[in-house]
Amino acid sequence: MGAENLKSNHNPLTDKRLIEAFLEGVKKTFETMASTPILAEKASVTVKSETSAAVIGNIGMVSGDMRGFINICFDESTACKVYENMLGESHQSVNNEVADAVGELTNQVYGTAKATLNQMGYAFEMALPSVILGVFRSSSPGGVATLVLPFKLKDSNHRFTVEVSVLS
Amino acid sequence: MFAPETKFIVVDDFATMRKIIKKVLGELGFKNIEEAEDGKPALEMVKAAAQNGQPFDFIISDWNMPGMQGIEFLKAVRGDASLKHLPFLMVTAEADQKNIIEAAQAGVTDYIVKPFNALTLKSKLEKVYLKVSKKAA
Repeated sequence: MGAENLKSNHNPLTDKRLIEAFLEGVKKTFETMASTPILAEKASVTVKSETSAAVIGNIGMVSGDMRGFINICFDESTACKVYENMLGESHQSVNNEVADAVGELTNQVYGTAKATLNQMGYAFEMALPSVILGVFRSSSPGGVATLVLPFKLKDSNHRFTVEVSVLS
Repeated sequence: MFAPETKFIVVDDFATMRKIIKKVLGELGFKNIEEAEDGKPALEMVKAAAQNGQPFDFIISDWNMPGMQGIEFLKAVRGDASLKHLPFLMVTAEADQKNIIEAAQAGVTDYIVKPFNALTLKSKLEKVYLKVSKKAA
């Protein structure tokens, strides 16, 4: 089944299957690679014009005519905690090693969700992740439709957010 | 299982993955491990090692890399008479059926889909060992 089989007025951000594919992708990636059980919190769809975090893993998403991106947003202590769970090494701040791990996790979350979604009629293409480092705020004039998936590391107060944005 | 002195090359553009794979290999008793961050330098390394009489015995490579992709690296290895026999394990987040078929057609020895744990890597190595031993017999 190809992307053309999806209806032209199809809104991916309200597609339950897309939401579930990303929830599963995040859960599987964090639990397998970082031995980090996570809990999904309440998802929402919003028009976002700003994103801020200490470190963001970003990857572009293209499926047919659909263009979008994923941001996985961490504060410093959560990123360091996940890195410690992955590699058994402790860091107090986001350095190149922690940033690299955020990029790889982003790659795996997208890869896992992509495989599920492509079996359902999407045609997401292979893409390379990038990492945005440092406390910053990005803004999009007019805003971008975004699915916000918040997560919490089990038995802790560490939280991170996965944002799936669709541009067209 | 492969002998402890087996010489591995681990190829991935993310240092985190190279580190994780090296760590698992180390826990399995393998110490002779080199790494590269892209298919192009990796191909140069395996060619040079073969020419210098200290060849690699096993390639573990990612698919999705910014320079030479893993699939091109695999095709180059299989197209080189001095390297084509090398076990080639693709470790990748690309889990689409079409990717797995393309890699199989290009001659990959086995395929691991990320995310994976240490146990999966260990069992794939054992599987590759059986495949390679069978071929050699």
